[in-house]
Amino acid sequence: MSNDTNEPETTAATEPRDRVLPRLGGLGLQRVGGLLAAVVIAGFVFAVWSGWLFLKTGNLVVMIRLMGVLGIIGLGLLVVLLVGEIDLSFSALAVLSAVVMGKMWVELGYHIAIGILVAFAVAVGVGLFNAFFVNVVKVPSFIVTLGSNTLVFGFTLLISRNTPILAQKLPPNPEEWQVRGGDYVDAAEYTFFRALASNYALPGRFPLQVVWLAGFAIVFGVLLSRGVFGFRMKAIGGNEQAAVLAKLPVRRYKTLAFVICACMAAVGGLLDFSFISQVQPNQGGVYLFPVFTAVIIGGASLSGGRGTVSGTLLGALLLAVISNGLALNATGAFVQQMWLGTVTIAAVVLDQWARSRQGGESLGVQLRDLAGRFTRMNS
Amino acid sequence: MTAPAPPSELSGEGIVIKGLHKRYGDTVALGGLDITAQPGEILGIAGPNGSGKSTMVKTLAGEVIADSGRVLLDGVELAAEDLAGYVTIVHQEPQVFLNLTVAENLLVGRERRRVLNRRIDSEETELLADMGLSEHVHTDLESLPLAAQQRTEIARALAQDARIFLFDEPNSALTEEESEDLFRRMHDLADSGRVVILVSHRLHELVVHADRVGMIIDGQCRVILQGDELTEERVARELVVGVDKGGEAGADALDVASTAGRVGGEQDSVALRLSGWTHRDGGFAGIDMSVGLGEIVAISGVEGSGARELVHSLAGFAPATGSLRVGADGSSESNGDGRAARAATDEVGFVGANRAENLFFNLSVGENLLSRLSTDICDRLGLLHPRTLRSAAEHLADQFRVKAGSVDDPIGSLSGGNQQKVVIGAATATRPKILVLEEPTRGVDIGSKSEIYRLLRQYADPESQLGLPDMEGHGEAVVLYCTEDAEIFEVADRVYVIAQGRISGELNLSDYDDVESLAADRVRLEAGG
Repeated sequence: MSNDTNEPETTAATEPRDRVLPRLGGLGLQRVGGLLAAVVIAGFVFAVWSGWLFLKTGNLVVMIRLMGVLGIIGLGLLVVLLVGEIDLSFSALAVLSAVVMGKMWVELGYHIAIGILVAFAVAVGVGLFNAFFVNVVKVPSFIVTLGSNTLVFGFTLLISRNTPILAQKLPPNPEEWQVRGGDYVDAAEYTFFRALASNYALPGRFPLQVVWLAGFAIVFGVLLSRGVFGFRMKAIGGNEQAAVLAKLPVRRYKTLAFVICACMAAVGGLLDFSFISQVQPNQGGVYLFPVFTAVIIGGASLSGGRGTVSGTLLGALLLAVISNGLALNATGAFVQQMWLGTVTIAAVVLDQWARSRQGGESLGVQLRDLAGRFTRMNS
Repeated sequence: MTAPAPPSELSGEGIVIKGLHKRYGDTVALGGLDITAQPGEILGIAGPNGSGKSTMVKTLAGEVIADSGRVLLDGVELAAEDLAGYVTIVHQEPQVFLNLTVAENLLVGRERRRVLNRRIDSEETELLADMGLSEHVHTDLESLPLAAQQRTEIARALAQDARIFLFDEPNSALTEEESEDLFRRMHDLADSGRVVILVSHRLHELVVHADRVGMIIDGQCRVILQGDELTEERVARELVVGVDKGGEAGADALDVASTAGRVGGEQDSVALRLSGWTHRDGGFAGIDMSVGLGEIVAISGVEGSGARELVHSLAGFAPATGSLRVGADGSSESNGDGRAARAATDEVGFVGANRAENLFFNLSVGENLLSRLSTDICDRLGLLHPRTLRSAAEHLADQFRVKAGSVDDPIGSLSGGNQQKVVIGAATATRPKILVLEEPTRGVDIGSKSEIYRLLRQYADPESQLGLPDMEGHGEAVVLYCTEDAEIFEVADRVYVIAQGRISGELNLSDYDDVESLAADRVRLEAGG
């Protein structure tokens, strides 16, 4: 037994193509290829349809910005799905964070740093709230977060009285301007705030959200594919019972997942606020559908234990292309919604077909798993 | 039971399987399987894990489509999609609607009207009475015991005129009495002219109940035993010979396990001591026991005796109070409450009875082996290095003789015996002082069984180097929950028998020369001494 120590190293050395535990990190090549192809095809269709308007810099910036927001929030959702839970409250929370921050900073006149801190504190609170009911009270996360979604949305409307919050600074010489009503913020703080996500700072008006997304993607990628963190998340999501028997810290990881998801939602909400310098309290549901769809199309499993950062990024890009393309071409917001739903179902069907050909877990199977979870939660 | 009149078509030659081939990638699951089952007989099927038994079952159920080969029913070839209409598979886990009542289960799929009428007709009432389900007709199935669920499954199949009944390890979760009842029903089914096939790991049952037993090894039916040839010894020998041809485990391994046993067992130093150990929920009370360094101790008792709960409590999975001391150096002692209890049970590694509850099916073989490690496999930043992981995983797979193409293979691709080795390998990777296992060889073939015994013996030895090379600590003892006398005889040094929540006796295996006398004493103690 003593010379066993050296054996595996020689095996590893003699095998140059280091196909090491591949699913720890990478996404299947076919899936990356499939998603990229979908992005290119959708992009081409929209480009032709819109008479090449779709490919104008201005439009690309809008699209990429949307991808940034979807991706940032999606990374948080990915973590929750990995650990085998579901979060439906992130969309409402994204808006609440922005409203809380706006309230503190714009309306109550606190320093911007305090506003941001309080916004994140609220997010952490909501994450802990979800985790408490999932871990301690043992309510299925679908139900808990369905409830907290509405709770958060209602709270947002309450504290904002459903009035949009506008961040604006007082012009240098107000008497020459027709000053709008409302509150004004400190000019330096305003500049800082707008710089967080403004697309004016970078050359080509490149949207800063994507830079944020890239940063988060690197951190999440390393944590999930190379860290013990991601390894255990996947194990817990794959088989919670086994994780308990193996004495993995299941509750701690689940709590962490909900808190991370909540914080990423807050980041997304604040960056959006920064970009348009206004927050609409009644927009609490807008991210739910596209973010969820992006993460699932990106290959995350609704039954837990599967999902990658690269897939989530591509899913976010595809969703951004589709919704932007439709907004550009379809006649009116209502028809656009219908198209978005149709295209999403089509994308899922296509994905299912592709996966059944390569023998992977198809979305149909995933939905069956999800149905299984509902039956279990009733018993 | 008087089952409905036998379907007359099935008076002929029964079911004939010819030249069934099935490959999964490079693995040959079925390599030209030929076997025939006649109406009116019980055909037993035996074979080591990974021999192709389950592929055969799935093929007959129409879940898997064979690459080539034919299935004939009375000389008529059946297509894969038609099989499900003729073949009923009875698993350990019944495929029924747990949320519906017994009657609804009988009716679902055969509703005769648009308006659902939950009443059943006289024929169906009689059928349920035959199956001993009369009093449960309108009970939700999930509130009935497993055996009743299985009977519902059989009744449902009978109502649908199924002709072939394939029992796939049907009684592995049933009590003795329930098993007997199930076997009686199998005989009734056979007597009524249906084809009955029984797949089992339990040689005794095959020998007692089957008319013929086919041995499936490497995807082929190697030999069919019947009449005088059909003895437990002969079946076991055929299995071991078959395994021997295919791999390293064989007759020698069996001998190794039984002779290597009981080498340890020195009581000088105590690895685990319980005193006044009492279950919070009343499963057991006032347990005093000790496990010596290097010892393997079995805890045995019938279902409900508290033995299972006792084993769970050692690993911290059942609440208990009293004094628990883990480790020969007495490092962790607790009164069963709070932080100290957690610290003590942290030194205990646990493997549960149900394999599906121990494995991560979304992870690979290697990832499963490493799943319980944390800081030991990462660098200071908490990052994992693929090369280190791979070599660690291969090291463990090697030590535990996991038969897998690569540690990157999905865990689901391994046979049951190899999966179980992965589970035990993962549990030992963190080098817990005490390794607690619940029915460690349930549903495992005979070759893997002996290897698992050897590994447990090795782990209990404090000198052993089982596990990753640079890990701290070592195994000190192994505790098993076990109810099979053969297993206790092969692997344990001592056995505590639990009855009504108390230790009713302690048997020292060195006092026994054969399984029968051990079984006699143990059963007497299980009954309460």
